[in-house]
Formats: sequence, C-alpha cells, structure tokens
Amino acid sequence: MSGASALGVRARHRRRRLLGHRLRVGGGVFTCALFLFPVFWMVLTSFKQPKDIFTTPPTFFFTPTIETYVSYMGRADVLHRMLNTVIVAAGAGAVSLVAGAMAGYALARVPLRGAATIGAVIMLSRGVPPIALAVPMFLVARKLGLLDRHITLILAYCTFLIPYVMWLMRGFFKALPEELEEAAKLDGCSRFGAFFRIIVPISLPGLLSTLIFSVILAWEELLFALVLTNRVATTIPVAIAGIAGDSVNGANWGALTAVGTLTVVPVVAFALLVQKWLIKGLADGATKG
Amino acid sequence: MASPTPRHPKARSRRVVRLTDLAGRWGFMSPAAVLLVATLAYPIFYTIRISFSELDLSTFSPGEWVGWDNYIDVLRDDRFWNALRVTGVYLALALPLQMVLGFGIAFLVNAEWRGRGAVRALFLIPMVVAPIVAGGVWRMMLDPLWGLANALIGLVGLGPIDWLGDPAWAMATIVIVDTWRWTPFVTLIATAALLALPGDVFEAAEIDGANWWTKFWFITLPLLVPVIAATFIVRWLGAVKMFDIALAATNGGPGRATNVINLFIYEEAFRSLNFAGAAAMAVIVLVGTMLLTAVFLRGSRMLEERH
Repeated sequence: MSGASALGVRARHRRRRLLGHRLRVGGGVFTCALFLFPVFWMVLTSFKQPKDIFTTPPTFFFTPTIETYVSYMGRADVLHRMLNTVIVAAGAGAVSLVAGAMAGYALARVPLRGAATIGAVIMLSRGVPPIALAVPMFLVARKLGLLDRHITLILAYCTFLIPYVMWLMRGFFKALPEELEEAAKLDGCSRFGAFFRIIVPISLPGLLSTLIFSVILAWEELLFALVLTNRVATTIPVAIAGIAGDSVNGANWGALTAVGTLTVVPVVAFALLVQKWLIKGLADGATKG
Repeated sequence: MASPTPRHPKARSRRVVRLTDLAGRWGFMSPAAVLLVATLAYPIFYTIRISFSELDLSTFSPGEWVGWDNYIDVLRDDRFWNALRVTGVYLALALPLQMVLGFGIAFLVNAEWRGRGAVRALFLIPMVVAPIVAGGVWRMMLDPLWGLANALIGLVGLGPIDWLGDPAWAMATIVIVDTWRWTPFVTLIATAALLALPGDVFEAAEIDGANWWTKFWFITLPLLVPVIAATFIVRWLGAVKMFDIALAATNGGPGRATNVINLFIYEEAFRSLNFAGAAAMAVIVLVGTMLLTAVFLRGSRMLEERH
C-alpha cells in the first residue's frame, strides 16, 4: 500500500461502500426486529398477571407467571378446540394435497384436451370471495344436517387449498426433467405407477412444504369455521374471535395472548421447518436442473 | 397384448387401450374436479339462485323467484356502497404500501453477511401469525388507555392517537395490521427475485458511469416487472378477502369506517339473516373481483411484453 492519491480516493470510496453496507445490514436487522416485536409482545403479555397487563406505561419488567395459561385452559374448551383445529387442518391438508398434487401433475405433464381451460378456471377460482361460498354452504349444510362437523369444514377448506396446491405443484412438476417418466414408461410403468413410484418420491420436499403451508392456511382460517361450526367442531380461531370481540367482559388480554401464543407457536415451528425444505428444494432444483 | 389375433378383436383391444389411457389421464384430474364441483361450483350456483329469490326463513331454503329485486335493494343500500368504498380505500392504501415496503426491505435484507439466512427465516413469522390473532394483538397494542403504541409515541412527544375511535385512524389501523402481516410475504419473494438479478449487467452499467438511480430506474425495475406484477396479483387476491383482521382489530368500526365488504356481507347474512341480500352482494363482489383480476392479469402480461 504505497500512497498515491488515486489509492486514497479508492480507499475513501471503499470506506463509503462499507458504511453503506453496514447501514443496510443494520436497517435489515432493525426492520426484522420491528416486525417481530408484536409477536414478542404477545408472548410477553401472556406471562403477565392482570395487574402487570394493565399498567401505564406498559411494563417490560414483571414476575412471569403461567397463571393465565392454567386458568384459561381449564375454563374454556381450549384443548378440545385445539384438537378440532388439528383434525380439520390435517384432514384438509391431506385431502387437498392428494387431489391438488394429482391435478397439478395433470396440468403440468398429462396431455389432456381442455386441460388449459380447466387450469385457467381453477386459477381464477382463487379470486372467489369465501363469503360467496360460506352463505350457500351454511344453508346446504344446515339442510343436510352437516353443520358443526369436521368433514364439512374439511370440504370447505378444499375450496381454497386445492387450487393453491395445484398452482404450487404444477410449477414444481414442470421443473422436473421429462426423462423421468420416459424411463419409467420404458420400464413398463403405467402413468399412475410412474407418478406414485418415481415422481412423488423425488418431489417429497416440494410436497412436504406445500402440505405444511396448506395446513397453516387451514389452521388459521376463520370465516368458514365461524359460519359452519358452533360447538362440537369449532376451532381455535373462532375461540380467539370470541375473546377478542368480547365487549361484555372487556378486554381479556391475558386469555387473548395466551391462546394466541398457543396458536402461533406450533405454526412458527412448522414454518421455520419449511424454510429449510424450501431452500433445499430450490437448491436441488438449481444444481440438478 | 398384440399377439397374432384376427383383425376385429385387435381393433377392439386398441380401443380398450385408448379408453384406459384416457381414463388414466383424466384419473389425475378427477379427484380435484369432483371436489371442486361439489364445494366450489355448486355453492356459487346456489348463491346465484338465492340472490334471485326470496329466502324462506322457516326452511332456510330459496323460495319464490323475485327477479332482480334483491339486487335493486342492495344497490339502494348506502351501507353496501360504504362497504365498497371502505374496501377500495383499504386496497388502494395497503397494496402499494406493501409492495414498496416489501421490495425496499428485501434490498436491506439481501445485504451480504453471516446472519442473512436467519433474518430471512425470521421474516416468515408475521406471515404465519393467524390474522385473527394479529388483529387482536394489534388492537391490544393500540388501546388508547393501556396500549403500548401510544406510550411509545408519547415518549417522543406525539399523540395520544385515538387509533380505534377515529374513523381515519381506524382505517390506518387495519392498513397497518395488514401491512405488518403481509409485507414479509412480499419481502420473501423479493429477496429471491433480487438475488436472481444478473450481476454483469450492473457491472457494465457501472463501467459506463451509471449512478444508483439510473441503475435502479433503467435496469433493476424493468427486470423486476414480472415478479412485481405476479406478487401484486397474489396479494390482490388475498387482500380482497380481507375479513379476519378487520373483525378482530376494529370490528368494522367506529361506526362503519372500516366495515370492509366481506365483513358487511357476513353481518347481513349471519346477524341480520338477510341471506338473499347477502347472496346478491356476494354475486356482485364475485363478478367485480373476477373482472378486476382479469384486468390485472391482462395488464401484467402487457407490462411483461413491453419490457
């Protein structure tokens, strides 16, 4: 590093670059923290006693307690509703994964007359407002005695999950090399055989992350659950809507944050799991493509 | 299969093979098709039918055909127009805000350092917080008396803001909550898109002496147009369904200031039991959404072709 003036200019330039880079990193971390804060605040509040929740100004320091969890779990049917949510989310996720992945495969690879039209219609169905389905579903389910059943909610969730799975998996299957099926056909596999023995196993990362995203979507769905269930099959989001909208007893923030935390934690865990699979799937596609 | 057999059976077996092949091909499509016809197509037709009839509340089934009466009633209802206007304002504020913030934050997040992967993973979290929980928790934070938001802006001498009681601030509230939940989605798509930009083009531009603005306006933006358009459409399809956050954060209030269309239709159907009117509104919204979606799709294709 012998000092010529040109080098000095370059060093200053590099220093300014470094500063810009640090600002970017700092800004990114700060924004991320800002976005995570409401979740942090929810978890924090769920461990407060009522006297620590209602303070001015709100406090960050208090003796944590699991009182809210214990008392609220006992009072309302939280566990029962949690179980309902698991049944419905898993059922809807499984049904729509099978149906949606097969249909997505059909759109991506199987020569079908009219497939393009079907695909377009199904993609367009993503624009259907759920309320336009909830009204007739309520009336029909009421007539058939299907209100407040898990299966009704599972079928209702298929309306938005199947198109979603189709859309994602179609892209995933399209990116696979066609030689896979050709080789399978040479080995005497039928179309179904090729799909289930060859395509499905190598698509597991994509299928799994799609499944998890579908389960999350079903897990947090509110409108259909509100309309189609009332006691037996009702889900956690309905319970939260009840707590949040309870104007008689005032704001029950302890219950809101405790049930909210219980709802969010498993989903966050799943989502972070998916992140791994997604990156892996993307990396595999990039290197093996 | 094709052993030396007479001509006629051979032709038949060929037809059988063709039929099994056809069945095999449609076999992939049929489970989804059957389920969607039963749960999507049939309810839509049923909604249309209800919207043209009087609903008999003793049997909860559509009764007498009344033509366009329900539609005329709905179109004369100020609350319906208010709900449409409120939804329009929300969409016009939230969607551009989320797109700009999403891509801006993606630029920050993409700065190369050890923690980049972790930051990106953490951005997933707001996206998977159930909207009803998001609405409730934000309502808690924005509470005029005990909320954290007013305490924080009080520290810098601002406020207090009546987040939930003032019509304009209530609209701001649902835009903020929705933006909090959905900007990370845009950010995650944008980080991938920004990383996929071809670096050599920027190097060439830099050698030619382009400043950051020229690079942004003439290279980055045109290259990102397809991603921006696709993300916008996905966000649009989600945002028109706005329901949970408005229900939890403001419950449509104060008055009807944040009574978005889905919330209003829900209330009409399940609180006022006006199923026929709700069905008519749902059909209007359905048609409007489809038309606008078609316009946006056409627009995005045109933009892509131009660039």
